[in-house]
Amino acid sequence: MAGSNEVNLNESKRVVPLNTWVLISNFKLAYNLQRRPDGTFNRDLSEFLDRKVSANINPVDGVFSFDHVDGATGLLNRVYQPSSQNEAQWGIVDLEKPLSTTEIVPVIVFFHGGSFTHSSANSAIYDTFCRRLVSICKAVVVSVNYRRSPEHGYPCAYDDGWAALKWVKSRTWLQSGKDSKVYVYLAGDSSGGNIAHHVAVRAAEADVEVLGNILLHPMFGGQMRTESEKRLDGKYFVTLQDRDWYWRAYLPEGEDRDHPACNPFGPRGRSLEGLKFPKSLVVVAGLDLIQDWQLAYVTGLDKSGQKVKLLFLEKATIGFYFLPNNDHFYCLMEEIKNFVNSNC
Amino acid sequence: MVLCDFATSMGSSSGSSSSSSSKPLPSPQQQDIDGLLAGAGYKVRSSELLQVAQRLERLENAMGNSPADFSQLATDAIHYNPSDLGSWVDSLLSEFVQPSTCPSEVIMDPVPNQAVVSNAWTTAEPQNPQVHQNICYEQQSLNNQLTVVTATEEDSGIRLVHMLMTCADCVQRGDLSLATSLIDDMKGLLTRVNTVCGIGKVAGHFIDALSGRIYQGIGGGSVNGGSVLENEILYHHFYEACPYLKFAHFTANQAILEAFEGHDCVHVVDFNLMHGLQWPALIQALALRPDGPPLLRLTGIGPPSPDGRDSLREIGLRLAELARSVNIRFFFRGVAASRLEDVKPWMLRVNPKEAVAVNSIMQLHRLLGSEPTRNYPIETVLSWIRSLNPKIMTVVEQEANHNQPLFLDRFTEALYYYSTMFDSLEACTVQPEKALAEIYIQREIANVVSCEGSARVERHEPLAKWRTRLSAAGFKPLHLGSNAFKQASMLLTLFSAEGYSVEENEGCLTLGWHSRPLIAASAWHAVPDASAEFPAWDNQQSS
Repeated sequence: MAGSNEVNLNESKRVVPLNTWVLISNFKLAYNLQRRPDGTFNRDLSEFLDRKVSANINPVDGVFSFDHVDGATGLLNRVYQPSSQNEAQWGIVDLEKPLSTTEIVPVIVFFHGGSFTHSSANSAIYDTFCRRLVSICKAVVVSVNYRRSPEHGYPCAYDDGWAALKWVKSRTWLQSGKDSKVYVYLAGDSSGGNIAHHVAVRAAEADVEVLGNILLHPMFGGQMRTESEKRLDGKYFVTLQDRDWYWRAYLPEGEDRDHPACNPFGPRGRSLEGLKFPKSLVVVAGLDLIQDWQLAYVTGLDKSGQKVKLLFLEKATIGFYFLPNNDHFYCLMEEIKNFVNSNC
Repeated sequence: MVLCDFATSMGSSSGSSSSSSSKPLPSPQQQDIDGLLAGAGYKVRSSELLQVAQRLERLENAMGNSPADFSQLATDAIHYNPSDLGSWVDSLLSEFVQPSTCPSEVIMDPVPNQAVVSNAWTTAEPQNPQVHQNICYEQQSLNNQLTVVTATEEDSGIRLVHMLMTCADCVQRGDLSLATSLIDDMKGLLTRVNTVCGIGKVAGHFIDALSGRIYQGIGGGSVNGGSVLENEILYHHFYEACPYLKFAHFTANQAILEAFEGHDCVHVVDFNLMHGLQWPALIQALALRPDGPPLLRLTGIGPPSPDGRDSLREIGLRLAELARSVNIRFFFRGVAASRLEDVKPWMLRVNPKEAVAVNSIMQLHRLLGSEPTRNYPIETVLSWIRSLNPKIMTVVEQEANHNQPLFLDRFTEALYYYSTMFDSLEACTVQPEKALAEIYIQREIANVVSCEGSARVERHEPLAKWRTRLSAAGFKPLHLGSNAFKQASMLLTLFSAEGYSVEENEGCLTLGWHSRPLIAASAWHAVPDASAEFPAWDNQQSS
């Protein structure tokens, strides 16, 4: 056992920079301490260890942020915007005016990852990531603080995502362009990607327009063990055992991983044919053990006649986008930038 | 509980902290901090990255090898300051007692393929933006921290906030005639806005405070703090209506209890006794100590009571009764002083053999002044606290930047801070606690906004500034750990509504509403001062 552990650690060390390895290994360790074998979760320890940051109305590197609590749901959304060119406008948020009356400003509704269980909108890693998204894509980002499992399992995250989408669409101050509407994209990493998909389905069914989905190594799975799962189990920070734990914590009692929330195109899934579903950008990390499920998702979208672009980053591990110290990060940001600005 | 929605828009154009060019260069130690990890909330020196990685690896192997120890680790270990990643990993490593290895040194790495380990990582070029990143990290913690902003469909609410900002700007520029006409307009607007909750309620208080400031200047009335009795009553209701003071007391008591472990004679100095609400819990906890209770001395500082009452003594008597009922030897001393700076250390009669705890709940900020270079009472007081050689000093302060030099900056910050606080108060339904708590907060607002000079005592500064100040005065932090955090969280679920959140901030704990910390608790001890041979309390003439 010890021997294979050393091999595993050596492999992950070779493919990521040192500080990335420290960061993700730290998360792995901390998360191991928080998950209990009986399926319960040490939420206090989790909140204690999570590094959080406050919003900041004053621009830092051209981005400012503020929090909003939705009166109806008690949900927190953190809004990130590019700061005005005019310094006199700094520290001012005008909730009466639209983002622009001439140009289109994309609004990305972002669902942070954490396997449905960890992190928050105000977690430092996600606050930093959203700020980078704003800078690079010149978009507005709204990060949703959805309720997490095991305290709040399926379908809470999807309900919260849907509520956030409706909130965003109804803000006049998020409108832009000559048509005065909110140009919405859904995005998320890991469980956030899963949420983005399911919210997009709900939106399509309700005829609410979403211009695109960005799924960053989205969290999908199934009962069967795929080749990539067997090959990569435990090799690059993630184990099948922890994946199983998170699905048990999220899915309803007694359900298995072929539940459509986990396996949308599986035996209990459905085709999205004929649905006005947004175009999708699906990013797969080549060293992610669940890539077979993500690739199956891409195939599923394709077979449903939906527009999907796959960005396969062969040497990337999960969490490659947390620190901008690798090519994959810049490649990803370029793709996202083009994806959300292609309509302009 | 329905959160009242209200709109705020901000008007601080004089971003005193927005330009990175005006920030001081980080110290060489800070410059070595990995900027990218700092953005993720972790402080690790670049030069130590490899070491930290190796220790993470060792910990992982240890965990894999003995799962039983691991699950015990998960339940029992107390964690401190997760931002200091290296120390955190070390503390976990030290919990793993491997029977075959020597328990002391964890630094030496016996892993045979160490050479492979050090070459295995792909090298990451130090990023040029590293220093800049670090500045941003520091900046974020010092900046105006925006509170919860909620949007409303009501235009009047938004306009009200716009006008408040404009009015404050006029006041700063000295354009009092425009300011007064704005006050009139705003009062008119108030009649069309719901003043029972949300922006209407807070705006009303800020309009009053601005009025007070303007008319003072023109020779109008003065803004007074209330009588001693009034203040005590308001304080008590604020204590009942929301969890901020309970959190302060609870967290401080935990830390004091721990600091007093193993000591038979202990002395608590309370900088603001009020009704002594904090102490029954500590007395009871000390009574239940496994190795028996200590002799407890409590010195309570408070303002002199008017009309012949001796309220300090009355409180002391009540606490003594409680102590007697749980068999603790207890001595109380009241020190009457209108201002903390009037207290001399010899009045506290600290015995060199006692373990001393100095407890300051929202008092230190009153000793600050406006200009950074002048000598204010804070220096003197911190210095004599140090001379008492306390085992612990517990400090709780409002987490806000209300002592900035420019009026408009203070005003803006206060608007956000108190809006959030009022928001949280909406969850309270008990009367008259809620109404009186609001008056308590209103008095604070009035002081921040309409007072100046020595009359302005509500000079709140954020945790980051207190850290710098206390370090410079020779104090080192005592980190509050995951056990204190957990108990504070539990306390919240028992006593309060959804929305309050406890956060860990580099060894300190904050309590806030949603994602905005409003109050910060920290603990400190004095670094031994080689120069002080005779403690100040021996000299009755000392200043």
